[in-house]
Amino acid sequence: MNTQFKKGILEMCILSIIRNHDMYGFEVIEKLSSEIDVNENTVYPILRRLTGQGLFDTYVENTNIGAPRKYYKITDVGIEKLDEYEGEWRTFLKGVFKLLGGIENEG
Amino acid sequence: MKDKYLSSLRTQLEEFQASKSEINDIVTDYEQLYEDAKSTGKTDEEVWNMLGDPKNAAYELIDTLKLKKEKSVRNKIIAITPFLSLIIFFVLGFYFELWNPGWMVFLLIPVTSIALHTRLKDGIVALSPFISVIAYLILGWGFDLWHPAWLVFLLIPMVSILLHTKLKEVFVAISPFVSVIVFILLGTYYNLWNPGWLVFLSIPMLGILNDKKVWKVIIYEAAFVISILFYLYMGYTYGEWRYGALGFALPVIVGIIFGDMHFVWDNRLEGRERSKAIFMVSVIVVSTAIFLGLGFALDGWAYAWQAFLFIPMVAIIAFDKVRFTALMPFIAVILFFSLGYFFDLFYISWLAFLLIPIVAIIENT
Repeated sequence: MNTQFKKGILEMCILSIIRNHDMYGFEVIEKLSSEIDVNENTVYPILRRLTGQGLFDTYVENTNIGAPRKYYKITDVGIEKLDEYEGEWRTFLKGVFKLLGGIENEG
Repeated sequence: MKDKYLSSLRTQLEEFQASKSEINDIVTDYEQLYEDAKSTGKTDEEVWNMLGDPKNAAYELIDTLKLKKEKSVRNKIIAITPFLSLIIFFVLGFYFELWNPGWMVFLLIPVTSIALHTRLKDGIVALSPFISVIAYLILGWGFDLWHPAWLVFLLIPMVSILLHTKLKEVFVAISPFVSVIVFILLGTYYNLWNPGWLVFLSIPMLGILNDKKVWKVIIYEAAFVISILFYLYMGYTYGEWRYGALGFALPVIVGIIFGDMHFVWDNRLEGRERSKAIFMVSVIVVSTAIFLGLGFALDGWAYAWQAFLFIPMVAIIAFDKVRFTALMPFIAVILFFSLGYFFDLFYISWLAFLLIPIVAIIENT
């Protein structure tokens, strides 16, 4: 799959899972890789990029096990962006399935 | 292990000339990721794989960094190389009468530009034509080995394949090139064209190894081995190579029985991937045919190798975004060599290599 395309989808997934509740970096990687085949190398850079674009805020919380953890929290801009992505994605998927269905009927 | 990971990441980020605060921020984040991953009971190796190679991670982060001086330093080095090359060229020429092959120092210009402006993998692929040209000219002028030295040009597609193919498929992908090299060397030096061609059978023999059913692999390999032994036996004992060749019906029959005579097309590929594979195989076949045609018909071995340059070029045009920068090393090699070979313009045709940085600058600004 086109890397750029995949990155876009990953961005949307990351926005979506952090929307439900704040998460720390490793939690995001684990959650994502439990559902989809993801190159972990790209998750942290995406978190950092989206934070840079103001879609996430970060805050630090102390833990029992060691160093404090950085949590990512979605911002209002992030929620807006996610809704936009999700809308585009659903329309796109609808079209794709329609086309795939068409192929099946012909075949 | 953790410290090694983090320091490797830090070094790479420092090379990009990222600001100190950004580097510290990223390294702290990765330290957390590392510890969190370890706390789930993973070994260092698993964590390392999970987080990805630190160098690659740093490359992924480039666009999130505010790079300060990186570009200007690189550009300065690139700006200096033409002058350096000129000085070295004149010194070699005036003091040592080495105008030829002294002109080769001009290759430093595109080489520096490629080395400093591309990622490691792409850089190696882009540099391979230069290395091949230099090796070819040294073998040619130095040892009069124009043939079979042209084989070094096969390194270009081979390097590209080695760096871009999954380990499992590398051997199959590389086997046609290795076979050509072995075949030509056996033929040229030992006049073993026959049965030297048998090395080409290594291509399907390696290809089958990727099949998951062990018994199928064994039957196929056995069929090949038996037919090869039969061929050699008939040939060497009775001089009946042609009857010996009948033995190759055995693997063909096995193929028909299994219903996958088309295994070389890799029947797991479907849709676009499949047509891509078919397309590339056709390009390789056509290039090889042009090469052999020109070689045998016109004795054009010395220049026909350039047909192989079309393989990576077509791949770039068909599957990548068309960028002239990526194509220029190949075009420059063709221009350089053709002008030199056909018109005896080697002393000036190296200028073609200057097209590479020029095109790169025009296209990237």
